[in-house]
Amino acid sequence: MLNAIKLSKSYKSGKVLDAVSIALEPGKISGLLGRNGAGKTTLFKILCGLVTPDSGEVHIASKQAKPIGAVIEEPGLYPYLNAYENLKLFAQIQAAPADRTSLENYLTQVGLPLDRKDPVRNFSMGMKQRLGIAIALLNAPDMLILDEPFSGLDPTGVASLIQLIKTLAQQNIAILVSSHLMAELQKSCDYLYVIDQGKIVNEGPTQTLLNALISVYTLTGTAIEKAQSLQPYVLHAETNTVTINCEHVPISAVLRSTLEEGYEVHSCVPNISLEQLIIPLNA
Amino acid sequence: MMIPLLKAELFKLFRESKTWYAVAAVLLIEFIILIAAYFQGATILELLLDNLRQSFYFEGTLLNGNLLLYIILNSLWFNLPLILMIVSSALITEEYKNGTLKTLMLQAVSKRKLMLAKYLTSAIFTLLMLLLLMASTFVLAYGIFGSGDLVVYLGTLNFFPAEEAFKRILMAFASGTLSMLFFTTVSVTLGILLKEPAKTWIASAFFLILSSLLLKADFGLGSMERFFFAKLTNSWQRFFDYELQLQEILIDNIALTVYTFLVALGGMYLFTKQDVG
Repeated sequence: MLNAIKLSKSYKSGKVLDAVSIALEPGKISGLLGRNGAGKTTLFKILCGLVTPDSGEVHIASKQAKPIGAVIEEPGLYPYLNAYENLKLFAQIQAAPADRTSLENYLTQVGLPLDRKDPVRNFSMGMKQRLGIAIALLNAPDMLILDEPFSGLDPTGVASLIQLIKTLAQQNIAILVSSHLMAELQKSCDYLYVIDQGKIVNEGPTQTLLNALISVYTLTGTAIEKAQSLQPYVLHAETNTVTINCEHVPISAVLRSTLEEGYEVHSCVPNISLEQLIIPLNA
Repeated sequence: MMIPLLKAELFKLFRESKTWYAVAAVLLIEFIILIAAYFQGATILELLLDNLRQSFYFEGTLLNGNLLLYIILNSLWFNLPLILMIVSSALITEEYKNGTLKTLMLQAVSKRKLMLAKYLTSAIFTLLMLLLLMASTFVLAYGIFGSGDLVVYLGTLNFFPAEEAFKRILMAFASGTLSMLFFTTVSVTLGILLKEPAKTWIASAFFLILSSLLLKADFGLGSMERFFFAKLTNSWQRFFDYELQLQEILIDNIALTVYTFLVALGGMYLFTKQDVG
């Protein structure tokens, strides 16, 4: 649906993107993970046609008037208009359906209340993000690009936004989400690109990529810190909690030994940092 | 696609509180001038014309609606264009500031058409403001002070009978509107170049002052000198020369209109070539 091939971009400050290639597919959620300043926003601006790349190409297979809907950086809204008026204005300028029913459907789809009549300057960041997504969805784009949509949201807001993104993907929309927070992308994305200093350093199906890189886990269980089978791997231990590093042994084998020893494992949470993901898998 | 864009631009313009502050400022200035004229105008005029009264006989009062209209017309020198430039430049700078330009460009909207809609909105607003100023001044000035002969000092004192004065004031308003359209078009283009509201306001004020300064400058260009933009922006004032050079004023107004179109075309070209964000 979208193929970006070897995109490069330089500013006076230096090279921001270096031969970046990515692909988006219908109904799939792709994640772009990278530190602040890694080149995520520039890549998104190029994909959406806001910025011209120095080299490389973007191929889009879509028949829609607006192939890509996007929210880049903070959602740009008219602060003196209310949510409905903002949505109506953006619908009218592109000849998208702007009748009350259609617009209220968009607001409902992103979970915004229909009874808020005050200007959007009073809205929380979460509500602005949702309205930004509603505007991005106008004119039924085939793709949706969201730049750091989880920034400034509380945990409830993050959870409901993830749910919304998943719902949109079920409608066969190709979605690309960026973040510098791994947990959010891990929960929502089918495929992950890791970008660092303008280059894609790792990519793959989210779970495969994480499995290949994760070696640190936090286990909880009754008196689990006393399990002999875990001792060779313990990094940190507290009452009922241990953090282990089992780099050369599959986690399933470690868990099996612990269970055979008679300890119950209540949870096993992988710990992975962005820094670990930035190291290329073949390095 | 153009009509919905134009409608949206006008809707935004008239929903912005700063637009109404601008309207209020223009009307307030007009009101203050009329009040000052009502209480002090006759005394000042007596002082100015005291010597002439010893040699000439004036019929009726010279503090009349036509003189007030001429005084208010003089707000076309600085305060009115400055206010109009601030509002017009905000059509683009506020979009940059709020991030809405990015949102607009992420929709199925052409950059060229969007910018054309902004220039047209600026022009419509300018025309409406001039109409409002003209209509309100006519009503108030004639209502309070009545009609009469007009005396204007432009190096020398020029006197115009009431009917002639009214015609010349009307034509001066029309010509002044073209000057205002030039200034507001420049301010939108400055907004495209500078992007930030405060920087654009300063640049607009600077442009206005520079135009006034260059008005009197002599560049030694001979007959071409009159086509320098700064010399064209005060054509409206030439309707109060005793000998009315209508054809020359018309040519100057056409030249200024050409400048206005060129500035707008340049702005649209720049905007379409610029990255957004």
